[in-house]
Amino acid sequence: MLNKNITTYGVAAVLMLSAQSGIAQANETPINGTVQSRCIIQTDTAGTFGNPNAYTLTTSSSDGGEQSVIRIDVTLANSYYAEITAPNEFSSAPTLPDQVTWTGDTEVKTVSDATTMGSYESGKVELGMMDRYDLTATGSTWFKTSSVATMGGNKAFPGGNYTALVQADCIAK
Amino acid sequence: MRKKLLLLLALGFWPSYSYSDSIAPFYGYTGNAITDQSLKWAMGNVLPDGTPGLDIQNVIYSYRIQKETGEWVTVYVQNEYAEGAGEGYIFRERDDWKPGSIAGTEIQKAVPVGNLPRALWGDGSIEVVGNGSVSDASVVYTYKVTPCFDPQFDPNCPGYKTPVPEIYEVDLGDVYDAVAAGDSDQDTWDPNEDENIDDEELSEEEIAEKEAEEDKDREDRQEAALFEAGRAELFAQALSAAQLTDATQINIRNYTEKTIPGGAYNDTKVLVDNDLPDAPSGLRNGLAQQLLHQQMVAMQYNLTKKN
Repeated sequence: MLNKNITTYGVAAVLMLSAQSGIAQANETPINGTVQSRCIIQTDTAGTFGNPNAYTLTTSSSDGGEQSVIRIDVTLANSYYAEITAPNEFSSAPTLPDQVTWTGDTEVKTVSDATTMGSYESGKVELGMMDRYDLTATGSTWFKTSSVATMGGNKAFPGGNYTALVQADCIAK
Repeated sequence: MRKKLLLLLALGFWPSYSYSDSIAPFYGYTGNAITDQSLKWAMGNVLPDGTPGLDIQNVIYSYRIQKETGEWVTVYVQNEYAEGAGEGYIFRERDDWKPGSIAGTEIQKAVPVGNLPRALWGDGSIEVVGNGSVSDASVVYTYKVTPCFDPQFDPNCPGYKTPVPEIYEVDLGDVYDAVAAGDSDQDTWDPNEDENIDDEELSEEEIAEKEAEEDKDREDRQEAALFEAGRAELFAQALSAAQLTDATQINIRNYTEKTIPGGAYNDTKVLVDNDLPDAPSGLRNGLAQQLLHQQMVAMQYNLTKKN
């Protein structure tokens, strides 16, 4: 009886192993990778709004303001566009009594190579508040952005802190 | 065991350079080389020459281009070779501001030059070719100083050799030549004319007499030497005796020493009263004396009466 039982269990075990080996196996192995951007954007100088009159905020140095400066370093030539957009709204501000009218512009302030970057400014494309530069050379370029905010109806800006953001993007070609 | 031995040997021969702070290379940068509108500068005013181990590593410059947009302006930032170090420029960086580049655009450039010794660098300038100019120019040099450029700078420098003082050899032959040539006031030495050299031939008697004199002189010198030696011995004995006496002498003092401080010593008791009355207790005694005196005086009269 005992021998029979052992034989029965042995057959059952062999059958189970055979059944398992018949199931299809699947596996997924990840491949990880990190890509370092060849276009690096940094804030060189944070801008400042001057307040020459009650209804104007401006980055003009003659009115006590300062333009913001953005530095873009490119290590791969002819692969990126730089799109820099002057602000058209406050990211933080007190409650405003009226609509604000925005004007702004971006220019090349400094280049690291005149021969290959000297014509960045003359070759830029302006799309509203956004300026697009074709970064055809490796090196560093500093862009300065001016901004003027004017309160509608010549109403006064309420007292408080105001912040507006310049948007800079590297767009791969 | 063998592996441990090999490891010890490897560690023993492992090259190690432990630089102390005093000999570690250090880095720095100059101020703006451009101090006026001439756009030229003397390197001696920027980075002093004559420091061994001073190498320039980078030239960092910036300026703002001023030109019409349609113009082509080329700007050179350059340094000539130092005088005698070479021809032309040791450093020359060219910026082509082509048509399309906007006036007022600034350039910031850092140009590595390796490690070029300061001694090779001559005067610098910014040269503008074309219809344009530059403004707000700045030129800065970064440098590295290696103190151990000369291994003798510090004993910790690799290759340092302990200095051995130079011993100058004086060639006396030149002096003799000068004397022989008549350049000196001294006469030329001629052994034949030297009076100290006596080369005349002596007879046997004279030789014996001379030897006897020499023996006598020798004995006198020995005697004098022995006398001096004996005197020295006596002096030594006296000195040791004196030292022994000094050592055994006991310093006995019968009175304790008091030091009286100097200065003025004023009276400590002052009588305040102006009138000093007689003591009443002495009055009785005084009167008794007076009575006795009168009795004695009166006695003479009593004697007279008797007579």
